[in-house]
Amino acid sequence: MGDVILTMKGIDKRFPGVQALSGVNLEIRKGEVLALMGENGAGKSTLMKVLTGIYKKDAGTITYEGREVEYNNPREAQEDGIVIVHQELNMMGHLTVAQNIFIGREPKNGFLIDDAKMNSDTRKLFQQLNIDINPKETMSKLTVGKQQMCEIAKAISHKAKVIIFDEPSAALTESEIEQLFKIIRNLRDQQLGIVYISHRMDEIKKITDRVTVMRDGCYVGTLITKDCTKDDIINMMVGRVIYETPKTESHVPPDAPVVLKVEHLNAGRMVQDVSFELHKGEILGFSGLMGAGRTEMARALFGADPKDSGDIYIKGEKVEIHTPEDAVRHGIGYLSEDRKRFGIVLKKSITENATLTCLPRYCKGVFIDKNKEKQVTKQYVDTLRIKTPGIDQLVMNLSGGNQQKVVIEKWLIGDSDILIFDEPTRGIDVGAKQEIYELMNRLVDEGKSIIMISSEMAEITRMSDRIIVMCEGRITGELDIKETSQEQIMHYATLRAGGSDNE
Amino acid sequence: MNKFKNLPVVRAIGFNRVVLIGVILLMYLVFALLTPVLHSGATFLKYDRILSALNYAYFIGFLGLGVTFVIATGGIDFSIGPVMFTAALVSGYCLTQYHVPLWLCLILSIVIGVLFGIINGYFVAYRFLPSFITSLACMQIAKGVGSVFTKTQSVTWPTEGNENAWFHYLVRWGDVPVGFILLCLVAAICAVVLNKTKAGRYILCIGSNKEAVRLSGVNTKKWEMLAYIICGLLAGVAAIFYVGAYTTVQPGLGDTFNNEAIAACVMGGTSMAGGLASMLGTVIGALIIALMQEGILAMGFTISYQYVITGIIVLIAVTADTLSRKRKN
Ligand SMILES: Nc1ncnc2c1ncn2[C@@H]1O[C@H](COP(=O)(O)OP(=O)(O)OP(=O)(O)O)[C@@H](O)[C@H]1O
Ligand SMILES: [Mg+2]
Repeated sequence: MGDVILTMKGIDKRFPGVQALSGVNLEIRKGEVLALMGENGAGKSTLMKVLTGIYKKDAGTITYEGREVEYNNPREAQEDGIVIVHQELNMMGHLTVAQNIFIGREPKNGFLIDDAKMNSDTRKLFQQLNIDINPKETMSKLTVGKQQMCEIAKAISHKAKVIIFDEPSAALTESEIEQLFKIIRNLRDQQLGIVYISHRMDEIKKITDRVTVMRDGCYVGTLITKDCTKDDIINMMVGRVIYETPKTESHVPPDAPVVLKVEHLNAGRMVQDVSFELHKGEILGFSGLMGAGRTEMARALFGADPKDSGDIYIKGEKVEIHTPEDAVRHGIGYLSEDRKRFGIVLKKSITENATLTCLPRYCKGVFIDKNKEKQVTKQYVDTLRIKTPGIDQLVMNLSGGNQQKVVIEKWLIGDSDILIFDEPTRGIDVGAKQEIYELMNRLVDEGKSIIMISSEMAEITRMSDRIIVMCEGRITGELDIKETSQEQIMHYATLRAGGSDNE
Repeated sequence: MNKFKNLPVVRAIGFNRVVLIGVILLMYLVFALLTPVLHSGATFLKYDRILSALNYAYFIGFLGLGVTFVIATGGIDFSIGPVMFTAALVSGYCLTQYHVPLWLCLILSIVIGVLFGIINGYFVAYRFLPSFITSLACMQIAKGVGSVFTKTQSVTWPTEGNENAWFHYLVRWGDVPVGFILLCLVAAICAVVLNKTKAGRYILCIGSNKEAVRLSGVNTKKWEMLAYIICGLLAGVAAIFYVGAYTTVQPGLGDTFNNEAIAACVMGGTSMAGGLASMLGTVIGALIIALMQEGILAMGFTISYQYVITGIIVLIAVTADTLSRKRKN
């Protein structure tokens, strides 16, 4: 193991009402991948933002290559060789891939930007990293996963000595993650220091050498990855052991009524002739690879996007759903996978977000009954254990995972009978994940029904009573939980209609 | 400084607004000192000056309150000034030429404002046109309608002391600035609508993230359109206060007031990006604009200087707005 390249000692950081960091230590070594773990809101992102000069620390020292440093902005850190790939994407959607990667340091040709050189440099960079993206493509046209890969490529292109990955894998497909790991191993072999933040245990075991754990803004300890078990890490993170047992049989009684029936739903290229039934009290898992059309199916069903054809029946009655308003009226709720764009109103408080789906219920006439509203918000903030100094906190100031919990709170308050959870635990720590699973089980016990879209195989097999697999916009398989294996799901997930062209 | 910021009064009003009130006092002082120097024999320290400045503040204030709703949704309305003029022209023409009863004319003025609000709102919310374009088109239409209806003549409403002139009392009753009371009252109502009702909540949330609000099952089109309708309605109200103060309206004008109303809004702390708005701030902003034009005239400069200064204020206010947002990120 290499020499220490960077040490953070006794770092403090306070936000109004929150002590985000208190006395945190961290040591990054050359040629090593360090995992930084902790529950949502533990302060991981904040610590990395302090390191890269986005936030100013209140106390503590940072020693980098033997000298004490303090950066005023990320640019200074970058020039010194410390770069970060953020949890939230920071790309300019209207620019091309190459323009994004070279933003602020475009190659010049006299006074003009040398586009040709920029594109060819980007191409070279991608070739090196084995990424297959056209440098001239507009950023917003790429999938979230590909945008993330661009962000990673951009960070690497800075000739960094320390690279920080803040939950890079949340939006990536399995194969993209594999590729990312290859890149990271390569960087490690070049003696870079790497910090890797993730909530996925299997990734931690696979790619990291040491694990530093944080809890409530404090440093808890550091473990050598190969000498510890998953449970050791979890125990250190949340102070208890969590058991994960897959479901072995359906919890739905065979005579449970059908609450939702979808027939021959078509919407664009991504949803083709989708039909299925959802029973009362059931968790219906939708599995498939990224881009299989599951989100598009859910959005069409919910009325968020127009559909071309298809019928929807709720409790046996045919209903017309053209807008999300119709869907909510018929008791359907949809938790989007992209919370920042579709899930929350960042600049508003938790309370204002929480009652958005059913504000009329918290009104007296045209006036909002603020007491009633606050009461219900408080209640759900407590049950979901959202980490915040108060319910008036702007959602913008919450950590990623806690923002996700606000989205869930919103739909729980909305009290829908049919809930579509699209990647419900993306970016959520193991402890909170467990809580969300328990919550989902409680909801179906209360007679609600859930459609759960998830790309995480373990989540699908653990939660679903029945599994539908999609591939390229069509349903390719339906499995009872009793007879499901991961191999089977993968088989259906890649069952492409003969000789189709990908891309 | 921090101690001052944490005083209960300061927190209730908002630090920015306290600063703005300070700016008003400072401006008053500067004008009081400079007027006799620059314009010999003139004085700024007269009650009449205040009343005259207030006359200007009323209609800018009402326009500003309306456009605050629109800006809160993340949109913009460049038609309010000409719409106000058209409302005053058409209803005034009905009053003087067709002898329609005064009360009906005042209602007509408001209805005209609402109609333009509906047009703006419909195209922005239901046809997804950019509000910038829609309202510029509306501005042209408003100017045209006003000219056509009055055969390009100016309209003079009855002056004080004549028959059918009680609307002047809405602005001023003797030495009592009734208009100021009414402006504050309407601002208070607007603030309640924005902060305490369902409509206001939706409007502010739409301004922050429209798509998330839509996906929460809210009919965003309806509420977005409502903001434009309120804006139009208040432009109609502004028309009444304009003629109450100045009596005569000319066709083809009014666009300069857009900028002043929007400047009042932004100065008062309403964010051009949407989602953040302050009615009290808008009123204070209108007072600043009005005091400034009064001061400029008192010091003997032409009104053209005011355009320059308003332009500069807009630039400063919007820059401050974007800067403070950057800092928060
Ligand atoms: N700009 C801010 N203003 C106020 N509070 C903040 C701000 N940024 C973060 N916080 C608070 O600091 C704490 C730590 O947040 P941080 O984003 O570092 O968590 P995290 O460990 O990255 O969590 P996650 O796994 O959910 O991403 C949280 O309680 C959060 O609410
Ligand atoms: Mg984070």
